[in-house]
Amino acid sequence: MKPAALHSKQDGRKGRADGDRSFLAKIVIAILAVAFAVTFLFSLAAGASDASVISVIGSLLQETRGVPDALSVRDSIIIYDIRLPRVILGALIGASLAVSGAVMQGLFRNPLADPGIVGVSAGAGLGALSIIVLGGSVFAPVIALLGLYALPLAAFSSALLFTFILYGVATRRGQTSIATMLLAGIALGAMAMAYMGLLTYIADDRQLRDLTFWLMGSLAGASWMKIAATSPFIVMALLISPFLARGLNGLALGEATASHLGIPVQRFKIIAIIAVAAATGASVAVSGVIGFIGVVVPHLLRLAIGPDHRYLLPASALLGGSLLLLADAVSRTIVAPAELPIGIVTAAVGAPVFLWILLRKRGILDL
Amino acid sequence: MIHISDLGVHLGRSQIVHNAAFDALAGEITVIVGPNGSAKTTLMRALSGDLPYTGTVSINGHSVKHLKLWQMAAMRAILPQATSLAFPFTVHEIIKLGLTSGRSLGSAKNIAHLPEEALELVDLAGFGGRFYQELSGGEQQRVQLARVLCQVWQPVVDNQPRFLFLDEPVSSLDIKHQLIIMEIARSFAKRGGGVIAILHDLNLTSMYADRVVVMHKGRVDAVGAPQEILTDERILRVYECALKVGVLPAAHVPFILPQSAVT
Repeated sequence: MKPAALHSKQDGRKGRADGDRSFLAKIVIAILAVAFAVTFLFSLAAGASDASVISVIGSLLQETRGVPDALSVRDSIIIYDIRLPRVILGALIGASLAVSGAVMQGLFRNPLADPGIVGVSAGAGLGALSIIVLGGSVFAPVIALLGLYALPLAAFSSALLFTFILYGVATRRGQTSIATMLLAGIALGAMAMAYMGLLTYIADDRQLRDLTFWLMGSLAGASWMKIAATSPFIVMALLISPFLARGLNGLALGEATASHLGIPVQRFKIIAIIAVAAATGASVAVSGVIGFIGVVVPHLLRLAIGPDHRYLLPASALLGGSLLLLADAVSRTIVAPAELPIGIVTAAVGAPVFLWILLRKRGILDL
Repeated sequence: MIHISDLGVHLGRSQIVHNAAFDALAGEITVIVGPNGSAKTTLMRALSGDLPYTGTVSINGHSVKHLKLWQMAAMRAILPQATSLAFPFTVHEIIKLGLTSGRSLGSAKNIAHLPEEALELVDLAGFGGRFYQELSGGEQQRVQLARVLCQVWQPVVDNQPRFLFLDEPVSSLDIKHQLIIMEIARSFAKRGGGVIAILHDLNLTSMYADRVVVMHKGRVDAVGAPQEILTDERILRVYECALKVGVLPAAHVPFILPQSAVT
């Protein structure tokens, strides 16, 4: 009995090994990076005012060289004070939604886990709404203490709380039950919605208009101030994510096997949950609940480059950023000069894709 | 060497393993046998560091309690009974996960070919591009073994032996692949590593085990070479089944033993 060398090395070994998708993944990431850059510039130029892509790039270049601006003062204000913060914020939020979706799916070992679907976004919304509505009364000291950061911190902490509850309910002995997770998500989401309904009920007229728009998800009202308030959380989560890749890959084999591979599973899960909560909380605090980016983007990428998180996470960030910018461009132009809340656009496109995933996974979901 | 003494494991309030003690030496295959529910897997989970325990478990003189997970990952690799996968990885990608832990063999270039070599070892050459979920149970088990082999590719590193823990490695395999897998284990032991395997097949056990550990109701019933340990009396007592060792069936009944394999 000679187990080895039954098969000769007839393939010649010049190419990559069968099933090694890392080269493909790198190419896809490069393409996504270019696509992201193009989308970014396109978004900067698109809108009710007609500053063209060329003039935007020209302006950006001249600005850095200190040459007098070729754009009119009006265009310059539109671009630097309105569109640029909006586009940067959109890119950050799109990236953070997609990455937190991918991390959460890896953590729960389930392609349907998404902060929007399992109630974590609603939890973040509850925290944010409490500050918006009660900021002048009950939470006045909090705002006095934390200032700008009160809103994202509140959203972050309640997202964190919701994620831990969800994980505690849905996971027993290292196995996450998909049915329990989705049902717990429904319960948590309903609970958050009930409290949000209560807060909406006691809100005054001015607050009501703000939070209606905010609830539907919108990038309107993006400002440098909001970027300053939320980017630390999002950037932190995005910077942590590459370090989560190995653990998420190991976790795909189950918690026991992950720890046999040397991954400190308990500590890893806590770090991953904090990263997801930070990214989700900050995104929700500034733009409301924008659904489906987190479930659709990683799923499409898994079909293209496979589930290796070393590539999936950066690719998700790039594609998530690009898609949200595109969705924002649509929401700004489709009913111009008014604009549609971006949450409507992402849900209109994302929900059917989600159903399509469900159909494909039907029958094999409850492994 | 794996040294176990006075080992106790509790799950909840009930004590599953009582006062277990044996050594598993490098260069040997140690096979744990016993009826269902005799705590074989629980014992192995304690050795793997998955469960809290009382008493002593050490690998090469280091207590499992005090080793960091990454340190243990460099000393031993574990094949679980079955592994379900969350996402559509290819076979190649699964096996490569074994390379991400433990001490690898140097540069990325040196280890790039290991997954394919491991696949050839487990008789799955050319399966690298297949999706894991599309494989049969037996094929999946062999893919996992290939991953585990990549984790401890060299049986000895820095004069320290490394170990393979195999929980029912041949449970869903045909006879050909049972023999292939046990030969892999034997080769690993011959090259200086240690193997601890849980097996149900007593014939395979007597063929490959250097040392047999018989578990019975959470206790170690006996430890020793197969010819000393596998007796009529013990099999009756432990398995509650009146079997005779070495008795041939009637002449017209075909029986096939792994020992008859032409090597």
